[in-house]
Amino acid sequence: MAGIVVVGEVGAGGLRPVSWEALAAGRAVAEALGEPLVGLIMGSGVDEEARTFGAGLDRLLVADQPELDMLTAETATAVLAAAIRDVEPSVVLMPGTTLGRDYAPRLAARLGVPCAADCIDFAVEDGALVAVRPVLGGRVQSVVRFTGEGPWLATVRPGSFEQAQTASDASPAPEAVAVELSADDLRVSVRETVEKQAGPTNLTAAKVVVSGGRGLKEPDNFRLVEDLARVLDGAVGATRAVVDAGWRPHHEQIGQTGVTVSPRLYVAVGVSGAVQHNVGMHGSDYVVAINRDPDAPIFKIAAFGIVGDAFEVVPAIIEALEAGRG
Amino acid sequence: MHIVVLIKQVPDMNAVRIDKGTGRAVLSDQRVISSYDAYAIEEALRLKERHGGEVTIISAGPPSVKDALTRALAMGADRAVLVQLADVHELDTLAVARVLAEQIRQIPYDLVLAGQSSDDYESGQVPPHVAELLNLPMVSSVMGLEIEGERLILRRDVEDGSQTVEAPMPALLMAITGLNEPRYPSLKGIMAAKKKPLDLVEASPVEPSRLSWTEPEAPERTTSGVIVQDLPAAEAAQQLVGWLREQKLVS
Ligand SMILES: Cc1cc2nc3c(=O)[nH]c(=O)nc-3n(C[C@H](O)[C@H](O)[C@H](O)COP(=O)(O)OP(=O)(O)OC[C@H]3O[C@@H](n4cnc5c(N)ncnc54)[C@H](O)[C@@H]3O)c2cc1C
Ligand SMILES: Nc1ncnc2c1ncn2[C@@H]1O[C@H](COP(=O)(O)O)[C@@H](O)[C@H]1O
Repeated sequence: MAGIVVVGEVGAGGLRPVSWEALAAGRAVAEALGEPLVGLIMGSGVDEEARTFGAGLDRLLVADQPELDMLTAETATAVLAAAIRDVEPSVVLMPGTTLGRDYAPRLAARLGVPCAADCIDFAVEDGALVAVRPVLGGRVQSVVRFTGEGPWLATVRPGSFEQAQTASDASPAPEAVAVELSADDLRVSVRETVEKQAGPTNLTAAKVVVSGGRGLKEPDNFRLVEDLARVLDGAVGATRAVVDAGWRPHHEQIGQTGVTVSPRLYVAVGVSGAVQHNVGMHGSDYVVAINRDPDAPIFKIAAFGIVGDAFEVVPAIIEALEAGRG
Repeated sequence: MHIVVLIKQVPDMNAVRIDKGTGRAVLSDQRVISSYDAYAIEEALRLKERHGGEVTIISAGPPSVKDALTRALAMGADRAVLVQLADVHELDTLAVARVLAEQIRQIPYDLVLAGQSSDDYESGQVPPHVAELLNLPMVSSVMGLEIEGERLILRRDVEDGSQTVEAPMPALLMAITGLNEPRYPSLKGIMAAKKKPLDLVEASPVEPSRLSWTEPEAPERTTSGVIVQDLPAAEAAQQLVGWLREQKLVS
């Protein structure tokens, strides 16, 4: 039995969006290979998420048991190994989350099969899976080709695929994955997860966010960002690079380890657009980027980009906005 | 406490250029210790200072890696092992991990520390592979480490917030920013490093890589957005403001 297994991930707020991205990627690979599309959800009390995820798929696997409440690299690896033994898939796509990037390579070593990390695109060439992954800071990409016996494993980088639309309401009958967890699988235990502090409401609720990055060179130059935010009636955000450097307070940090914002307009000034930053703002309706480097990844998600020096461009924007208001 | 730290030498990522003609990345000759690995070294040194023991640094790569290892020795590590692997960049992560795991097996250890991901290829896969090959429990994204009795209490940074996990020893841990502030080698440390053991060893037979990859290139721009380039600032700003009005994003 062949198939493409796509693993969804259930987080504090339900199914993580990357689950749908992985599913979209998996559906394209399944069509190219002419194989069934199989969903997998693991956790404890994840019935509802499994049914939601399974709608329109050919098969749905569910590993639901109390020990899987707080998944670890080891317990997730055990689930995947059991599911792969049952299904014998040719490809397994997993979310490129902290957890997924822990268990996918662990699983690869257990099975002795190849795994490509953090992929942003897939294709099938001559029956072989190829994946695109960003390297060297994200400004260039490498095309990775899988060879030999499968299953071929890959993690999907959050924010790089359109989220799959549920194709139909009908969900295949869930098939339980029987997982026997060994003592070794349970060596790491999660004591607690303290949810991220929500940032001040003016940032998370703002209709306009203007954020600045290391491209501003010095903390004092953040004045430019503040001025632009003022004329746009927006809030100020920052990248981790400048928060780590002590230029801005942590509650202004946007991204994976900061707050998530989804304003109508997001203006990024001197921000490279690292994936960890983008996951915190890719829900914005319109992204505007000002960056000196035409290859900066931020331009890939920008609806309007200006390649130029922030120190010239931002004052000019402020002037043009103020002039327009008369 | 015996601690093994895995480090990788990488080109300085602050000096990567994209060749406009070929779209290829041009790397600097300046080689440094991959940034997360510095946190792993620092944490190992602090554990040794508190609990005694020995810190062994292991890296697989070409002869230039000696510089990275010497720096780690100057920071305070006790000994270093260079696993000679000239073509480390042509191997997939699992092939590299097998070579590293084979070396680690040769020495006693209570902890293996590594970086969360390497600065250049950023896969983050070598440490989980190594953990599996050595049948060690692993914890990634470690921002805080304490030892309570025989157990590790680790604080990690995950999507849903800050997580506290418990693990026994031996274990493999992956360090990220926030774990500590890596020290600079002191003059005394630099002198002392010259007398510390730095062993060159042959890699165990390398198994064939199952992944092959093309030389990295700048992507075709995939944005559907408007990009203005090579315009005077005032003109670019006018275009942006016009667009913002069209989209009704400003009045
Ligand atoms: C586990 C983990 C979690 C992380 N979490 C986050 C997070 O929550 N949020 C976050 O932001 N990052 C996070 N990061 C860090 C992230 O990977 C990037 O390092 C960071 O976002 C980069 O910040 P930056 O864009 O300010 O700096 P850089 O990447 O240094 O970019 C600066 C940009 O400014 C441009 N520039 C320079 N001069 C000018 C000029 N004169 N005019 C215009 N442009 C100019 C440059 O071309 C460059 O693109 C995390 C990383 C890890 C590993
Ligand atoms: N050639 C190598 N030698 C020693 N350690 C390595 C090597 N490659 C990767 N590592 C370790 O694995 C971590 C993650 O690297 P990577 O999996 O390449 O992203 C690094 O931060 C190092 O700690």
